[in-house]
Amino acid sequence: MNEFSYFINTNSNLKKKMCNSKLLKEFKEIANNLINPALQSWKNQNGKVIGCMYPFIPEEIISAAGMLPYRMKATNSSGTELSESCFSQINCTYVRHLFDLGMRGELKFLDGVVTVNYCDHIRRLFDNWKSKINTPYMHFLSFPKKRGEEQIEAYRKELVKFKISLEKFFNTNITEKQLRSAIQCHNKTRQLLRKLYELRKSKNSSITGAETLAIVMAGTVIPKEIYNSLLNQLLKDYNQAEKNTKNLVRIMLVGGEIDNLKLIDIIENLGGLVVADYLGYGFRYIWKDVDEEGDSLTALARYQVMERPADPRIFGTSVERNDYIKKIIGQFSVEGIISFRLPQCDLWGLDQINLSRYLKKNKIPYLALEDEYILKSIGQLKTRIQAFIESIREGKYVKN
Amino acid sequence: MLKIKPGLQRFYEYRDRVKNFITQIEQSPEPNPILLRFYSLVLENDEKTIDCIENNKPLLSSWYGNAPEIYAAMDIHAFNVVDNILAHQPFYNDLEGMDKCAIPMDMCGLIKLGVYAVEVGIVPTPTAMIAMLQPCDAQIAIHEVWKNTDNWFNVPTFALDAPYGNSEEDYIYFAGELKRMIAFLEDHVNRKMDYDRLRKIIEETNRQYEAWAEYNELRRSIPCPHGSFLASKIGWIITQHITAGHPGATEIFKLLVSDAEDRLKAKKGWIKKEKIRILWADLVPTWDIPLADWLEKEYGAIVVMDFQGYTPYSYIDTSTEESMLVGIAKRNLSEVPMIRQARGTIDIMIEDITRIVKDYKCDCVIFPGHVGHKDQSASISFLKELCRDLGVPLLALTVDNFDPRYTPIDVLKRQISEFFDAHGLR
Repeated sequence: MNEFSYFINTNSNLKKKMCNSKLLKEFKEIANNLINPALQSWKNQNGKVIGCMYPFIPEEIISAAGMLPYRMKATNSSGTELSESCFSQINCTYVRHLFDLGMRGELKFLDGVVTVNYCDHIRRLFDNWKSKINTPYMHFLSFPKKRGEEQIEAYRKELVKFKISLEKFFNTNITEKQLRSAIQCHNKTRQLLRKLYELRKSKNSSITGAETLAIVMAGTVIPKEIYNSLLNQLLKDYNQAEKNTKNLVRIMLVGGEIDNLKLIDIIENLGGLVVADYLGYGFRYIWKDVDEEGDSLTALARYQVMERPADPRIFGTSVERNDYIKKIIGQFSVEGIISFRLPQCDLWGLDQINLSRYLKKNKIPYLALEDEYILKSIGQLKTRIQAFIESIREGKYVKN
Repeated sequence: MLKIKPGLQRFYEYRDRVKNFITQIEQSPEPNPILLRFYSLVLENDEKTIDCIENNKPLLSSWYGNAPEIYAAMDIHAFNVVDNILAHQPFYNDLEGMDKCAIPMDMCGLIKLGVYAVEVGIVPTPTAMIAMLQPCDAQIAIHEVWKNTDNWFNVPTFALDAPYGNSEEDYIYFAGELKRMIAFLEDHVNRKMDYDRLRKIIEETNRQYEAWAEYNELRRSIPCPHGSFLASKIGWIITQHITAGHPGATEIFKLLVSDAEDRLKAKKGWIKKEKIRILWADLVPTWDIPLADWLEKEYGAIVVMDFQGYTPYSYIDTSTEESMLVGIAKRNLSEVPMIRQARGTIDIMIEDITRIVKDYKCDCVIFPGHVGHKDQSASISFLKELCRDLGVPLLALTVDNFDPRYTPIDVLKRQISEFFDAHGLR
């Protein structure tokens, strides 16, 4: 029995009230910490762990190699002191906190790190990481900045190189059958999470936004087979949970790779309920499946370049993104949208302008926020969020 | 009353101001032939833009590094949204105007100006747009903002996707992008590609870059024959912002070479006692003149090279259509300033600093830390280690190359003075 089966056993008696679910609490624990029991168990069994630095990385290839893909985050970072010699104040705090943790050895359980040229901060984070932190395996993928058949082919070639590199470094072999099986397993995760999202559509859904984020995040740092099993159980528990009867303002959260439960807690402690999102750890991660037919690497490339809901890193996708947001607003009965951006992030900074214009035209209440990766302006955030929620509740929303 | 077309009034003003510059130069006791030719080229270019706006001729919005050689071969006139706004910055309140737009304060001044310019309509509405998705994140995002601005909402757009590396495979991929761009232009701008014309244009640009390289060789001399930044500014504009392959541009580079040679033969440096030779490791800022004047007068210091002037272009083989496109791909991916240093991994920047410090015998490196160059600011530890290995002191600043208010010039002067003093460079 591995250490993680503890969750399954202890959770089986839960019937009602998800807020008391032990399994949910464990998911929150996983989301709030860098290391979790399943990861520890994996390492104890000599399993390899590959850090995935930001999105667009085909985690399925890592799973197919028998390794654990681990989404890198800087949870509980207390400072950026060890980053200061490598980054400046005009670099985002996600990068600075993550690098600081790396320098402190907090992520030394990683056997490898892989990334794409997501943004200017991330690509130099990789360069600095490679230079200063002793992670055995490092790989960089060039990811296209627009969509098209040529771009799928270009990324497929990158995936071929990545697969060969993994095989060579870890002396393993990744077969087409293993790839297909990994894709199916990861798709299963997406399908189960979509079921969770379905529950959020209900007016009296008991699931909160913070819980959803914790659940999604937990799935990015533990083996997918275990996660899928737990998620199945959790869905049953949610179906049996008491319904929410409070009159909460239904909020959609839009932004990058937000992994901070506290931000959503703030919204939800002020009379809001985050019922939907357009986030990296959320809608964009789960909404579409990878094609299970045909060549797996082509399917993975097509998924990342063309099919996965885009973020502003992919040029020419704002219309599609706005369409998604409009659909989500309808399906999840969203009453207001909050977007969040880290200072120094150009991609989301300018996208907030696009979003603001679009939502203004469509007369949808909108609040644009920014704060550091480890929230620093909580008082100001609370004031603005409270005013926004109250203005929606009272039907007095005025464009900020 | 007829509403004037977007951008037209501004371009009339730019044109008239440039005409004035030309008149003033002509009337000066010793007219500078380089500046005269330079402003004539700028004037010619502005007049082309005005002609396009006034007469509804095809007008393309584009960016440096988007293979301007191809536009010239297709007889398409292009403009860059921020080019003239930056060049004429002291004459307008655009910086204050941009502050009123809802753009995050921490972004690059050039990007903020670009968003503002399209939003308030001080630039023409183009027939089509070629988006540049490199070297920084903001380039992707600014084009997306433009497409979401009412003025430009329906402008047909093609984006060039730049790969991350510098291999032959990368150049071939980008050459494919260029082919797709040509097809797009043929469809949306209704001009045909003329490869014979492209060959002539590339041959002319080959001569230009050869002359520019020759000029840069002369700047290695001690003392440096010319002052800080000027040739970099001129070279950038005449290779990237006017019609590519203009023989007038070649002539300017040759004049620069000839003038520098004359000064070297006469053993005349730009300043009498050259004391400090600086590498400015970034583009030329819009506030370069007061900085350069102060460096020269106060310290006998000259920026002998900067990233905007350091353009190690390679010769493009014009024997086949394919060789031309791959050559242009390489030039625009790996040789155009800033794109060269910022698009891919840190290696090119390290290589360039190493070569410049050694070849130009620099006494120090000033790294401006431009607020828009997030990648470069995250490269600071590499720069420190490199400069330590090279044995040259490094000053790392934080500025906005395009907004003089970000770090006031007096603050910069103090920082630079302290740096020179600390390293005994005075």
